[in-house]
Amino acid sequence: MREIQETACLECDLVIEVEVLETGQRARCPRCGFLLTGQDGEAMNRGLAFALAAAALLVMANSFPFLELHSSGFEKVMTIPQAGLELYEGGRTVLAGMVLGPIVFVPALMLVAMIALLVQLRRGVRAAWLVPTGRLLFALNPWSMVEVFIIGVLVSLVKIGAMATVVIGTSFWAYIAFVLCFIVAVGSLDRFRVWREIEACQA
Amino acid sequence: MSVEGADTAIARGLACCHVCLKLSPRASHACGLCGAALHVRLPDSRQRTVALTITAALLYIPANVLPIMTTVQLGNAIDSTILGGILLLIHHGSYPVAAVIFIASVIVPIAKLLALAWLSWSISGGQGTAHRQRTRLYRVTELIGKWSMTDVFVVAVLVALIHLGGLLVIRPGPAAVAFASMVIVTMLAAESFDPRLIWDQEEKRHG
Repeated sequence: MREIQETACLECDLVIEVEVLETGQRARCPRCGFLLTGQDGEAMNRGLAFALAAAALLVMANSFPFLELHSSGFEKVMTIPQAGLELYEGGRTVLAGMVLGPIVFVPALMLVAMIALLVQLRRGVRAAWLVPTGRLLFALNPWSMVEVFIIGVLVSLVKIGAMATVVIGTSFWAYIAFVLCFIVAVGSLDRFRVWREIEACQA
Repeated sequence: MSVEGADTAIARGLACCHVCLKLSPRASHACGLCGAALHVRLPDSRQRTVALTITAALLYIPANVLPIMTTVQLGNAIDSTILGGILLLIHHGSYPVAAVIFIASVIVPIAKLLALAWLSWSISGGQGTAHRQRTRLYRVTELIGKWSMTDVFVVAVLVALIHLGGLLVIRPGPAAVAFASMVIVTMLAAESFDPRLIWDQEEKRHG
């Protein structure tokens, strides 16, 4: 990292001089307490590793049965895409998008953007797509709701449990593992550091 | 707290990019690094937040009055609302799950609407107090927003999973779209609120 970098707090506008931090140190706004950045030498590598794992797990989670229902001779297998497709086929197109968007499409796009960005930053070669990819990644971030979906699924299991037997499929475990990796990957994204790296790369 | 005005970007004639945190002269229209539109403060922050909060509050009405799903059992259709679903869970003795849905679908949205309304009101003129606490309230509001989607995901899973021939089918109701829209609109409302306006009051106080 280079010497002192000047920025302003996003939440209270105070001008802050960010010094070179030691590993494990965090920079907070002295006025409002906003967490600005942290020094974590391995953050980029960890982010890339977990993003790759999450991407593989997300593909798995969408390829196998998620839940199976058995009741009075009937059987129904449900995959993750079906959580949206059944709504779409029932004429609820908007609702289908509102469900599949935050649990599949947004995280998938974020992973593609994150992997491309971090690989390019490791190589340290400038590229025209670096800036738009960074903007896409941070714009999508608030709209991922993968952990909320897990809670929704657990609630559904309790609700159905009373009516029928539910068998948990391969995708269920794949999606839980995906969520854990995704949270670690996104957690190691540091807005300030990523953009300073992009800036250094573009210079 | 400093007695004189704080060393803010606006006081130095600078604007901080909300995407990449780079400081630019206040007169520039776009950030030199990432190209995002540059604003000293988010444009019409209070008006937008108020408008979106009112929209969300209006959407909360059909979300609760209309059925969120319809259970068709042997030809009999039974509608259930969000509150009806919670009462049914209590009736079955699933108290923890009832509590999860009650928090996600009732407490979180109402708390969020009240917080956004109060924050918007608190930055209208005057000098304000409790700047740190209000900033913290804003952060919590931003953080909890998406958890309200829980019930919408429950409906999506039930609709996709429960389809046993003519015996038992679950269909999504109109409240599901209304509720999901409400969650999205409150998230947009929180995004359009600029917490720096809270701290501008702190400046007025000293200046």
